[in-house]
Amino acid sequence: MAPYTNIPLSPAELSYLHTSLSQQPPLRPDGRSPTQFRPLIAETDILPSANGSARICFADGTEAIVGVKAEVEKSRLAHTVPSNGEAAGQGVLGLGKGSARDVGDEMDVEGDESGGKGRDAWLEVAIEIPGMRDDDALPVFLSAMLTEALLADGGLKDRLWINSRFHWRLYIDILLHSQALSYPLPLLSLTTHLALLSTRLPALVSEKDEDPLFNDDWEASTYLYPPTTTTQHQKPPVTLLVMSVGATILFDPSKQELAVADSVLAISAAQSSTGELRMVALRTIDPPSRLTAAGVPNVLNTTTGATGAQTLSAADVLAMREKDQGQSVWRPPRGGVPRALVAKMIKMVVERGGVGEEVMEGLANVET
Amino acid sequence: MTSLKRSHASTTPTTTLSSKTYLRTLKSGKVQKIVRELYLRQDIPCSSQLCTACLDLAPAGFHRKTEPFVLSATPSGTKEYPEGHYLVPDTNAFLSAMDLFESEGGVFQDVIVLQTVLEEVKNRSLPLYNRLIALTKNEGKRFYVFFNDFRLETYVQREAGETINDRNDRAVRKGCAWYAEHLQQAVKARKSARCPAVVMLSDDKDCLRKAKKEGIKSSNLQDYVSGLPDADRLLDMVASAREQRVTKESKAELLYPDYLSISAMLTGVKNATLHQGIFNVSPYNYLEGTVNVPSFDRALIIQGRESSNRAVSGDVVVIEILPTDQWKAPSSKVIEEEDVGKNENAENEDDAPEGIVSEQERRALQEEVRKTHGRSTEGQSQPTAKVVGIIKRNWRQYVGHIDKDSVRSRAKESRAQQTVFLIPMDKRVPKIRVRTRQAGDLLGKRVLVSIDSWDRESRYPVGHFIRSLGELETKGAETEALLLEWDVQYRPFPKTVLDCLPAEGHDWKVPASLEDPGWQGRRDLRDLLVCSIDPPGCVDIDDALHAKQLPNGNFEVGVHIADVSHFVKPNNAMDKEASLRGTTVYLVDKRIDMLPMLLGTDLCSLKPYVERYAFSVIWEVNANADIVSSTFTKSVIRSREAFSYEAAQLRIDDRSQQDDLTNGMRQLMMLSKKLRAKRMAAGALNLASPEVRVEAESETSDPVDVKTKALLDTNQLVEEFMLLANISVAGKIYDAFPQTALLRRHAAPPKTNFEELSNQLKVKSGLELRTDSSKALADSLDICTDPNEPFFNTLIRILATRCMMSAEYFCSGTQAYPEFRHYGLASEIYTHFTSPIRRYADLEAHRQLAAAIDYETLDASLQSRSKLEAVCKNINVRHRNAQMAGRASVEYYVGQALKGRVLEEDGFVMKIFSNGFVVFVPRFGIEGLIRLRDMAGDGEREPDSLFDAENYFLEIKGEKVQRKVELFQKVKVKISDEAEESTGKRKIKLQLV
Repeated sequence: MAPYTNIPLSPAELSYLHTSLSQQPPLRPDGRSPTQFRPLIAETDILPSANGSARICFADGTEAIVGVKAEVEKSRLAHTVPSNGEAAGQGVLGLGKGSARDVGDEMDVEGDESGGKGRDAWLEVAIEIPGMRDDDALPVFLSAMLTEALLADGGLKDRLWINSRFHWRLYIDILLHSQALSYPLPLLSLTTHLALLSTRLPALVSEKDEDPLFNDDWEASTYLYPPTTTTQHQKPPVTLLVMSVGATILFDPSKQELAVADSVLAISAAQSSTGELRMVALRTIDPPSRLTAAGVPNVLNTTTGATGAQTLSAADVLAMREKDQGQSVWRPPRGGVPRALVAKMIKMVVERGGVGEEVMEGLANVET
Repeated sequence: MTSLKRSHASTTPTTTLSSKTYLRTLKSGKVQKIVRELYLRQDIPCSSQLCTACLDLAPAGFHRKTEPFVLSATPSGTKEYPEGHYLVPDTNAFLSAMDLFESEGGVFQDVIVLQTVLEEVKNRSLPLYNRLIALTKNEGKRFYVFFNDFRLETYVQREAGETINDRNDRAVRKGCAWYAEHLQQAVKARKSARCPAVVMLSDDKDCLRKAKKEGIKSSNLQDYVSGLPDADRLLDMVASAREQRVTKESKAELLYPDYLSISAMLTGVKNATLHQGIFNVSPYNYLEGTVNVPSFDRALIIQGRESSNRAVSGDVVVIEILPTDQWKAPSSKVIEEEDVGKNENAENEDDAPEGIVSEQERRALQEEVRKTHGRSTEGQSQPTAKVVGIIKRNWRQYVGHIDKDSVRSRAKESRAQQTVFLIPMDKRVPKIRVRTRQAGDLLGKRVLVSIDSWDRESRYPVGHFIRSLGELETKGAETEALLLEWDVQYRPFPKTVLDCLPAEGHDWKVPASLEDPGWQGRRDLRDLLVCSIDPPGCVDIDDALHAKQLPNGNFEVGVHIADVSHFVKPNNAMDKEASLRGTTVYLVDKRIDMLPMLLGTDLCSLKPYVERYAFSVIWEVNANADIVSSTFTKSVIRSREAFSYEAAQLRIDDRSQQDDLTNGMRQLMMLSKKLRAKRMAAGALNLASPEVRVEAESETSDPVDVKTKALLDTNQLVEEFMLLANISVAGKIYDAFPQTALLRRHAAPPKTNFEELSNQLKVKSGLELRTDSSKALADSLDICTDPNEPFFNTLIRILATRCMMSAEYFCSGTQAYPEFRHYGLASEIYTHFTSPIRRYADLEAHRQLAAAIDYETLDASLQSRSKLEAVCKNINVRHRNAQMAGRASVEYYVGQALKGRVLEEDGFVMKIFSNGFVVFVPRFGIEGLIRLRDMAGDGEREPDSLFDAENYFLEIKGEKVQRKVELFQKVKVKISDEAEESTGKRKIKLQLV
C-alpha cells in the first residue's frame, strides 16, 4: 500500500486527529457525521458501445470509469475440465489458500449442482490505475477483493448462464481516472455497482441448447439486474470501507482519517431478492497509520530539554515508550480489531436502514 | 463534473446529431453492440419539379451541378387521385411485385423509393435490390431515392419495444406525411392548383390502418392496380397477397411439416446431426432429389414430396438423415410430373383438402418400395434424408408453359381470374400455381413466372406471371427462353459500357510512332510470320501462332493472344459488365458477347493483314519439344493470314507450298504432335462429349442439317499450343502472386463416381475400368473397345466424362498446391489465358501476367483474395450456364432440323430404368427416353417387363413386343417429332424399331 504511507502529518497532528476522532460523537475534520458519505457525482451509460458503464467522481477529485462488456462463449462441458489443475490455477490471484474462492472453486469442479450453473471463470475484472502496472500489488489486490465480492454473491455468475453449451463472459474494466489520492476501493466498488446496474444483455431468441441467437434490438435487451419499482430485487454488491478509531466507527474515511485508523475493514454487502442486505465478503485492510512514525515523549526529547535520552539505555527508552501507550504522544496503532467491534461494523452496514441500504438507494437513484 | 455523454437521446427538431443502437451477431457467434452516430441533414431535396425551395437547397455534386429533379411536376392521375400522385411503396410492395414496377406503359411512374425501403429490400433479396437500382437509373420511369433516414424531418428513432419492422413502417409513413406537407407548401408557393397526392403502397393491414389514422393517403397493391388502365394484365403480376390466403387457412390442412428455426438448424449443422447442402432433383424422377453434403462421399437421397418438404431444385437446404429402416435404393424408374399429376385441378379451393401425395404418386412410390425390397440386396439401399429447413431459396424466374388441362375457360375474352398450373421447362422444378385473368391468351405461349411462396397448406408453390415471351416453338421465344433459363445477360450493352470504348471506334489503329505511350514496354513483332487458325467464319480471333527455326537448331514458337486488357481497364463500367457476363455465350445462330462488338470482332481480334496489340508467350523449344526458355511480353503483331482449320490442314498437306509461313506451320504441327504425345504419356485424358454442329441456311438461319464435328490435326495443333501457353502463364503468375493468382483446377473425381460405370463395364463387356489415377484411367479407356463397334469407345468416354468433376476457376490462396492439379490435362498447374475476348478469367490472367512482368501495376481488385474468390464463383457459374445454354440451343435446333421428318438411326442404350431406357443417337447427339408405356399402342396396357438391375437388362414381354434391351446395346431407333397433347409443345420422340 505504498502510495498511502507518505502522509504529510506530524506525529502531533496525527495524535490530535486521533483524539478528536475518538470523541463521542467524533469530530471529523470535514465535519461529517460518522456514517455520512462525502458528496459524489455519478452517471451511467457513458460508454455507448459497452453493455453497461458508469462513472463516479468523489468530492476529493478521484474519479473512476467502469465499462462492462459481455461476450458469448462456449462452455466447456463439466467432464472435460481436468479435476484439479484448471480450477486451482484459475485466478486465486495470490490470495493464498483458505480464501472463500478456493473453496468455491473446488466445489464447482466436484458437483455442478451445489455451485449453481455459473462458474467463477466467467467473470473477469481488470483494474487500471494510472502510474501502476497491472501486476502491481494494489490493482491485483483490489481486483481480487472486487471479484471476491461479486462471486460470493453467487447470483451474478448464474445470470451469465445462457444454456448448457453457452454462457456470457463478463469483462469488467475499471479505470481509475485520477491519481489515487485515498484508498480507491470504495470508489471502484461503487462505480462497478452502478455499471452492473446499468448492464444489459442481448435478449435471447433461440431455444434450449441451440446456438444462441439474439434479438437485434438493443432496446429489447434485458438488464443483468432487472430493476423493479420496489426495492425488493437483487443488486450487485458494494464494498464499503469502514474504519475504527477507538470505539468510534467511521464510514467513507478520508485520507487523513485513514492515517490514524486503528483498523480498516472492507465490507462487501449485496442485496438479496427479498431486499435484505447480506454480507458477502469481509477483509481487514492494513491501515496506513501502522506505517506512520511515532512521536517522541517529552522526557526523551532533547529539544525540550530532557536529559534522560543520553543516560537511559535502549531498553529503558523502549519501555518508556511502551508505558506511554500513546497517551502523551502519537504511537502507530497495533493489534487487531475486537470481535465486538467487527460485529458492530457489519451490523451497521447490513441492518435495515443501515449505511449499506442508504448507499444502494442513493446509487439506484442515479439517472441514466 | 461535466457529463461525458453525447446527448444523442435528446434529439430535438433542431439538433442534427442522433444515433442508433442495435446488436449484430457475427458468424463466429459473437454478439456486438453497434452504435452508429447519425448526422442529420436538412438539404436533401424532395426532387419534385414542383418544388422550388429544394432546388436552392440541394447540394451541388462533383461537377458543381445539382442533380436534375426526377419527379414530374404533372404526374399522372387515376380515378382516385385525379390531381396526379406520387407513389411511396413499402418494402413488401417491392418484394412481392417488382415486375409490376418494371412494367412499361406509363404506369408506376413518379415513385419515391425511401432509403429505409431500399435498404430493407437489399437485406431481403439482392437480385430484387439490383432490379430496383436499375429502375432508379431508368430515366423514363422517374424513380427517386429519397434518403429519409438522413433528413432531419423524416428521421425516425426506434422506440422502446418497437420491432425494427414497425419502426421502418413508421419511417415510411413519416416520409409520406412529410412529402404530402412539403408538396402542399411547394404548390402554395407556386400558386398552382394541382397538388399531387402522395400515396403509400403497402399490403400490411396494420400499417394501412395506422396510415389512415394519421391521414396519409394509402392503398394496398390490389386496390391500386385495379384502378389502373390495363388492370387485368397488371393484376397478374401482383403476387397473390398473403391476406387472400389467410381466410382459408383456418380450414386448410397443413400438408407439409414446419421448418426448424434458424438457430436450431445452425446448431444441428454445427454439431453434424443435420447437414447442409444444395438440393438437386433428379432429371429423370421429379420425386427424387439428392443432396451432397461435406460429411459424406456420396449424395444423400431424398425421396417423395413430404421428405423434400417444399424445397425446389437449387435451394440450399438443411437435411436430417432418416432411420435405417427408411433407407432405399435410388429409384430405377422414370417418373415425370406430367404423367403422374396430369389430372389435378389448380383451383383446389373448393376441393377436399389436397394431399401432398396424390393417389397416382402414391402408387408409383409403392411400386418403388416393392421393387427395392424384392431385390433383397442389402448393399443397394442407401441412406435417405428429409429436408427440415431451408437456409436460402434460390428461386429465380422460371420459363414454362401453361398446362392446358388446368385452364377452365379457354375463351380469350373471358377475364375471370382463375388459377392455372404452369409447367416449367426445367423438369426438376415443380408445377407452379399461378392466378391469372389472361389464361386464354397465354395458352400455347412461353411465359415467364416467378415463385412467390410455398406455404405449408399448398401442394405446389404459388407464383405470379411476369410476361409472355411469345408463341411456343417460335425461334425468338425459344431462344429467349433458354437464355432466361440459364441466366444469360442478353440485353444490349448499356451506354456507360459503350462509353468506355476508344473514341476512334473502328478507325483505331496501332500508333505509327514508336514514341507513343501505347508502344511503351511493347516489343515490335511485326516482322514475325504470324497466322491464326480458327473455326470457319470466326470473327473474334483470340490467338495467333508462329514458329521459326533458330540457328542453333532449336525452334522459336510464339503464341500471341489478343491484348484485351489494354482496352478493358479494371473497374470501369465495361470491366464490371464483362465480369458479370463472365463469358461469351455461343448459341447456334447467335453469339452473346462478353465485350462489345467493336472490341471483340475488331480492335482486339487478331485480324489478318493489320497491326494489332497482342500479349505474346514466346518459347525456345528443342526438337523434342522440351522448353528451353520462355518469355512473356506485350507486343505488336501483324497476322499474315487467318486460316480455318480445314484451310490450314490443306496448306500443310500441300507439299508444293514451301513458303516460310507454311513451313512454320509444319514445324508447329510437328512440335504439337510431340507435345501431345508427352501429355498423353503423362496421363492426360482424351474425353469425349457429343458435339454436333447445326448447318443453317445462311439467309433464314433455319437449320438444314446436323453434322457431328470433325476433328482435324490442325484443331489439335492449336489446342496443344494453347495448353502450353496456359500452363506457362499459370506457372508465371503463381510465382509472382502465390496468394492471388487466378488459376483453374480440375479435381480428381472421387472413386465412387466411377463405381457404377465400372460395374456396368465389368458386367456387360468384361472390361475393367481403373480409376486410381488419370493415367490409369486414360489407359483403361483406351482398351475399352468393341471390335465390332467403333463407336463403343466414344460412348464409354462420354459416360466417363459425366462421372468427372467439373473444372473450376479458383484463387491460388484458397487451395494447397497439390490441389491445383488439372486432372483431365494431367498438368500440375493450369489457368486460362488464351481467350480473353470471350472469357473473363483470361482477362484477369492477362492483368496478372502484365503485372508479373512489370508491365503495369496490379489493380487492387486482383490483389484481394476475397474479391477474386467472388469473381471465380461468378465465372464458374457463368461458364457452366453458357455451356448449358449452348447445348440447349443445339438441342432445339436439332429438334427443328428434324421437324416433320421420320428417320431411322443407330442408337446406343445408355441407361436402363425399370420402366424405360435412355438411348443416345450419335448422329444427332441427342439422348431420348423410351418408355415401356410408349411401346404399347393406344389404349393398351404397358407391356410387362422384367428388370434386372444387377445385369443391366430389361426384358419386355408385351403382347406385340418381345425383346431384351441391354445396356450399351446398339439399337435401331425411329426418330420423329411429336406434338405433346397436353402442352402443344414439340418434342423429339424415339421409338425402338
